[in-house]
Amino acid sequence: MTIEFSLNSRQRELTAMIHQFAETVVRPQSLSWDREHGVPHDFLRQIVVMLQSIGGGLSMGPSRGEDAGETLDAEKKKKRQPALSTILSAEAMSWGDAGLLLCIPGPGLGGPPVRSSGTPAQRERFFKPFDDMSKDLKWGAYALTEPGAGSDVAGIRTTCRKEGREWVLSGRKCYITNGARASWNVVFATVDPSLGRAGHRAFVVEKGTPGFSVGRIEDKMGLRASETAELAFEECRVPEDNLLGGEDSYKSKEGFMTAMKTFDTTRPLVAAMALGIGRAAYEYAVAFVKEHYVLSRPIPRYAAIAERLARVGRNLAAARVTTWRAAWLADQGENNAKEASICKAMAGGAAIRACIEAIEICGAEGSIAAEHQLLEKWFRDIKVYDIFEGTGQIQRIVISKRLLPDLKSF
Amino acid sequence: MIAFEPSDDQKMVRDAVAQFAQRTLRPRMREFEKARGLPDDVLRAAAEMGLGLAAFPESVGGGGLGLVTQILIEEELANGDPSAAFALGGPGAYGWAALTFGGSAPAKTLIEPFLGDGAHARFGAVAWGEKKALAERAGLATRAEPGADGTWRLTGEKAFVHNADRAQSFIVFAQVDPSKGWDGLGAFVVPAGAKGLTVLPRSQTLGLDAASFGGLALDGVTVGEGARLAHAGEVRRLVCFFARQALFVAARGVGLARAAFDTTRAYAEQRRAFGKPIGHFQAVAFNLADRAMDLEAARGMVWRAAWLWDEAMKSADGETDTREALQHLAWAVSFAHEAAMRAGDEAVQLHGGSGFMRDYPVEKWMRDAKQLQLCAMTAEHADQLAAAIALGLPLDPALLLPGPESQNVFI
Repeated sequence: MTIEFSLNSRQRELTAMIHQFAETVVRPQSLSWDREHGVPHDFLRQIVVMLQSIGGGLSMGPSRGEDAGETLDAEKKKKRQPALSTILSAEAMSWGDAGLLLCIPGPGLGGPPVRSSGTPAQRERFFKPFDDMSKDLKWGAYALTEPGAGSDVAGIRTTCRKEGREWVLSGRKCYITNGARASWNVVFATVDPSLGRAGHRAFVVEKGTPGFSVGRIEDKMGLRASETAELAFEECRVPEDNLLGGEDSYKSKEGFMTAMKTFDTTRPLVAAMALGIGRAAYEYAVAFVKEHYVLSRPIPRYAAIAERLARVGRNLAAARVTTWRAAWLADQGENNAKEASICKAMAGGAAIRACIEAIEICGAEGSIAAEHQLLEKWFRDIKVYDIFEGTGQIQRIVISKRLLPDLKSF
Repeated sequence: MIAFEPSDDQKMVRDAVAQFAQRTLRPRMREFEKARGLPDDVLRAAAEMGLGLAAFPESVGGGGLGLVTQILIEEELANGDPSAAFALGGPGAYGWAALTFGGSAPAKTLIEPFLGDGAHARFGAVAWGEKKALAERAGLATRAEPGADGTWRLTGEKAFVHNADRAQSFIVFAQVDPSKGWDGLGAFVVPAGAKGLTVLPRSQTLGLDAASFGGLALDGVTVGEGARLAHAGEVRRLVCFFARQALFVAARGVGLARAAFDTTRAYAEQRRAFGKPIGHFQAVAFNLADRAMDLEAARGMVWRAAWLWDEAMKSADGETDTREALQHLAWAVSFAHEAAMRAGDEAVQLHGGSGFMRDYPVEKWMRDAKQLQLCAMTAEHADQLAAAIALGLPLDPALLLPGPESQNVFI
């Protein structure tokens, strides 16, 4: 082994292609997607084709195949580095437009739990629809958060009870990315709220299941191109085959662990996306300073601006190296729960700071939503990166539990 | 590829240093502090392991192991005792200055005395800093004037010199051409016993007590033509020199932060208040989580900068011109210095009143951290350097070089 920091040839190729695409195709349309609350399906179809041709998995969590690392044995995985390739691609794409990344068809955040906890038959059944999206675009989604339970995952109140060969779900989910258009949602429910985590079950609820309906689509501060939905389950009858992992797998704390294991994959990915936005803002500010502050300016004023820029660049670099390490650990087949939380917390914070500083450095001009002036959009987009997939505070709970083994809960 | 695992050879070196640091340095750090230096047996043990020479190229008598290996060593040493990491013998900054400003052949000659018998207790020093800035021109006040037969006469006073009281030899920076400002500097090798050279009393410092910091007075010290190193007038080399020394310091900062963090984490599990371990309160636990984040990031950044520097050096003769390496180095230095200071500060804070007492190690680490921040390159200088690179500006010596015009540092 070695200590090394260069991208392998495939990663270089992948990121260069995505960067070029992000710069020339994505950015010019970014503001219009934000205004229209969505990305046209024709364009998403092009993206699907493009990503297939370069073999890059970029839906939030690759579905299957090589980039998901599913078909790779441990040694090949260490060499090919699927998790690292995915986060590198995600940063490059998010630098173009983060909202687009969340819209890209595929199993999305629903992918990781199906992959890690689904039976072979379930994986085959739920991933298959994504193999061919030439006619219809398809999405998967992940429904955990409820109006009364966000950070407190163990406190979900959506219930499930077994009736014959079906499970009956009742409750509501909110803030679900792609939840309305998804072919299926991975839905977490409890057999008995008093059991806490042990009572959790994860279901794949398909679109059109009786009793399942979509509530309102949220009006958000940023990431407005992405669909965020409210879901309702009223005596919703789900076939028993849709219980993720089968009934036996819940004899331990499997349900909750399913929810948590997902985060080890998705947190570095979300961190990388935040870094893409943060880097976009940083580069924008650097270019602005280059253009507007020349050497003839008095040095003290210049030095203060320089220091702010340096710290933004530095903190993004700090977060990036932790993100790389979290993904590298995943590719090594090692537990990365602590590192996934570390990079998520660092990247969210650093990228938000980057956007705030960039606006301040650019002054009034920084806040104008003009053609090709995306800074104000990035400022709106970035905030949620310290909230979804676990707030900065939740990441610190995860980290501190791993630092203090006797700490069960606060 | 991207990888975060030391090679087998590096692990062997690191583990050996870690053992030395935990068995010898950590238990005796208060003894070193009191003695204001390292005893002979400790200096000898470190020299036998080749710690101070590992990263120097083989062409000058070094281990040729590269900066990545050296920063692994520095982290472990500082984890044992940050102060000891600054107090070991060997060519240190003197050797790197010889290589940077002289080139391979002079460096080989200057590093030679640090090899072989008795070398463990030999020190070199670089005399750069000065207390007072000049009002009338840029550059250093210490002058180098040509004498007869190609000799040079050095006059002036140097401050903030690491190892001033124990060095066998100095590399002294002085102004050769006053009209050229920072581009008119020269560097001269001056033996400790030279006529006209006075070692000023050693300073009492806030931290890093085992390391010695002092100054020199030069009263017409005469050196031969061969004593002048050829490239000291190049600002780029000066920036690279300070930056690389700063990376070693940053790696020590990571080691210090780890020591403070580990000790505090253990304390937070054991110390009870209001019926439970203090670590089980969120205010304390989140603080520990933040320090863990600092540590993870600082180490990764130092590794990345060292790796980039090693790569750049493969294709460069002399000093690297790779802006990418220099930028990552500046980021790493700025971040690691501050991470070390936060770790020291929060360690004392979470220990409460006990942290203030010398019965516990954390107050020492807090003092060491602040002192460490003033070695080689400050975070402020590193930030200006990182910004200059990002903005594509020329390397402005007034902003980027430590010294009386901006912030002095210990070298």
